[in-house]
Amino acid sequence: MRLPRLNSLRTWRLLSQAFFLLLFLLLFLETEGKGGDELGWPVKLFLDFDPLILLTTLLATQTVPVTFLLALVVVGLTLLLGRVFCGWICPFGTLHNLCGLAARHRLIRHPAWLQWKYLLLIIMLAAATLGVQQAGLLDPVSLLIRSLTVGIYPAFSHAVSALFDTIYLWQIGGISAVSEWLYGFLRATVLPFRQPVFSQSLLISGLFITILALNFHERRFWCRYLCPLGALLALFSRWSLLSREVAEGCNHCGACGRHCPGGAEPHSRRDFAAPPRPAARTTKSTERPADDAPSPPATALPWLAGECHACFNCDDVCPRRLISFGFRRPAAWRKGGRATLPAPAGTGPDLGRRQLLGAAALGIAGVPLLRISHPPEGRAQPLLIRPPGAVPEKEFLGRCVKCGECMKVCLTGGLQPTLLEAGLEGLWTPKLVPRRGYCEYHCTLCGQVCPTGAIEPLTIAEKTETKIGLAMFDRNRCLPWAHGIPCIVCEEVCPTPKKAIWLEEVEVTGRDGQRVRLKRPHLDLELCIGCGICEHLCPVSDKPAVRVTSIGESRSRENQLLLYNPAGILTSNQPY
Amino acid sequence: MDRRQFLLGSALTGSALLLPAPPGILPGWWRQAAAAEPPDLVRTSGGEPAAATRRAVAALGGMERFVSRGAVVVIKPNIGFDRRPELAATTHPAVVATLAELCLEAGARRVKVFDRPVNDARRCYVQSGIAAALEPLEVELKYVDQRRFRDMDTGGDVLRRWPIYREAVEADVLINAPIAKHHGLSRLTMGIKNLMGILGGNRSRIHQRLDQALAELVAFIPPTLTVLDATRILVANGPQGGNPDDVRHPGVIIAGRDPVAVDSLGAALFDLRGSELGFVREAIRLGVGEGNLDRLRRSWPGGFDRLYRP
Repeated sequence: MRLPRLNSLRTWRLLSQAFFLLLFLLLFLETEGKGGDELGWPVKLFLDFDPLILLTTLLATQTVPVTFLLALVVVGLTLLLGRVFCGWICPFGTLHNLCGLAARHRLIRHPAWLQWKYLLLIIMLAAATLGVQQAGLLDPVSLLIRSLTVGIYPAFSHAVSALFDTIYLWQIGGISAVSEWLYGFLRATVLPFRQPVFSQSLLISGLFITILALNFHERRFWCRYLCPLGALLALFSRWSLLSREVAEGCNHCGACGRHCPGGAEPHSRRDFAAPPRPAARTTKSTERPADDAPSPPATALPWLAGECHACFNCDDVCPRRLISFGFRRPAAWRKGGRATLPAPAGTGPDLGRRQLLGAAALGIAGVPLLRISHPPEGRAQPLLIRPPGAVPEKEFLGRCVKCGECMKVCLTGGLQPTLLEAGLEGLWTPKLVPRRGYCEYHCTLCGQVCPTGAIEPLTIAEKTETKIGLAMFDRNRCLPWAHGIPCIVCEEVCPTPKKAIWLEEVEVTGRDGQRVRLKRPHLDLELCIGCGICEHLCPVSDKPAVRVTSIGESRSRENQLLLYNPAGILTSNQPY
Repeated sequence: MDRRQFLLGSALTGSALLLPAPPGILPGWWRQAAAAEPPDLVRTSGGEPAAATRRAVAALGGMERFVSRGAVVVIKPNIGFDRRPELAATTHPAVVATLAELCLEAGARRVKVFDRPVNDARRCYVQSGIAAALEPLEVELKYVDQRRFRDMDTGGDVLRRWPIYREAVEADVLINAPIAKHHGLSRLTMGIKNLMGILGGNRSRIHQRLDQALAELVAFIPPTLTVLDATRILVANGPQGGNPDDVRHPGVIIAGRDPVAVDSLGAALFDLRGSELGFVREAIRLGVGEGNLDRLRRSWPGGFDRLYRP
């Protein structure tokens, strides 16, 4: 382990990575209601700074997202310094670095795969031009927040709670007291208020763990070959002013190549005339150990500026300190300079016209394939209950990047990722599952944390008037209706000031002729906002006797039931 | 009212009570009250909620009558819904805070406050104003911890065995601090119904035999003291409310040792008799308390402007 030196840019890069990872985790933990109307933290900050989300939202919805300027900061930074976001900021990249610690430093192993990420990016951009937003599937910030929210964090919480619960139940004198104090501390700091439960945690966290595990095959596999945000930034970095120079005297020890996270081929010999490789390393005493790797094979690739994360590893590890970074005219403007895209034909990450057009065609052709799985307008999915403030479905799908912020912040845990309810296009978008958790009447947090305006921020007054669906009784299962047993839980918890559920007092005859007075619930369709607390608390708990479906949702023009709605809710005879 | 005024007032009231009353002029309850024993049921009218609470507890003989030095006290307010105090769905924060202060002044070692709300507990604690009101006090306002529910045999026919919050059962003193409001099934929710907040499990099932279950619960764990907040009451669309038009402002605090008596007297605020409430009838049947308030020592500081109907 090398000692950190303050004059080394690598040290500063590590500090920056630690800072942004911790900031990310802090904001993640703060994406949780504490009882107030607002969170008080800019919890979607990393998403706001994400140019990929900006660009795809721009293309898919032809509107400028509110976060426009923040993402431009990253673009500007990339134009100035190259992919510093990948090397210095990206919390997912830092996680890859941490996972990569367990793996050996190796040269890039699949140079031809470097183009994958560009192809993925082009597919996403092409699809976005037709209104299909799929960037969130692979956007690193969205992917990270979603995976933590749905999978990793619930698992962490469950594991910690199970441990402390066990100690608590054993009641070992002394130990339990200490553990309870520690547990209380953890609950106040890093543990969630309530154990999150998500239907797809295994799938989503499985993908996440697989992506992290790829680091064992090759360090920062994801960043090198798959990350579409990295690809986008690589395109911008063509104009980066920061460029790398190698002074005369390189003996091709290959240390820089092994320590390059991006696979930018810093050890490439194609960029400068190099002396023939010495048969034996005579300068070994002055070199740092080169991680017992064999000498790198001669590579045909040039230095790939677009793959450089500006991590300054090569500068740091070079035993002869020949590598320097400086501001110069961008590579793209220099005659003979090599930017990433397109690289000279036949040299590896070649994004030829054929691949480029193929990817664009795939993205465009994918749109109708995704779309034909959609129900026609006016035949909405009954169980697709979108959060309050969600825009009409078509636009919603154009905006939602499946980041899971709304699911993280949902007070009751009712917001769950969809599987196929919204079509394949809407995979992992949020839906309310009232059995899991209802929509809290005064809560507006999901709209506050949505980075793209798929869920618009609502005031509390707007929220309490927004219908997300309608509840209806199943009189064959309802205790008073079907069985002559008193209940009224649904009426008790109905939150509208004038209750949408009202009671009719009746006298029924029991089996043995006895008269039973009881109250039967009815639903006022005009007052019901579909919050689902009635369904959530219905004592017929497996398949509730009152259930919410999406019909009547304020955002839809077609998915309506009532001809006339005095509350002024949108219906089909009104313009959008 | 500061402590000095309070002590002075108590001393004056106390000495006034010692005066021999001319027989036959005053009603029977006054003669009872004039005896050395402090009253068991108190109703105050008017005043700010905090002062009224102090007045009510003082008239009952002071918190020292219930809380001994070093006691562990649980105060169970109604924090069941995500509503602001003025909507009368939750106990007034000043009432809760004053009760906590009185307990601390009486020398309580620990004062714990909690509820198991219907809505999100975080929002309920904050929006009810109770979290802020208790902030400056040495009081443990905690969320319910699922592990501290323990299945207990209540001895009842309906409730039988149910998870009940240990801290409520194990406390030296349980102070029930409900609000008086309308309820769709039990007609009213006051002290006895408020005890449902210490129940775990799926409470939705309880509504099938609500009156009897409530009576069995209060028989199993009768609170030491009930302080019913009727400074504002909810007369319709309860227990959740939300419409300011459904709120009335009687400005009343009812306090007593007998949960049945407190609820019976509280019913009068809604022009109901205690006997019209199923859970009161059931509780009387189980011998929890006294429904005929004439049999209790009572005190109405500030006057009783509404006729009590037994």
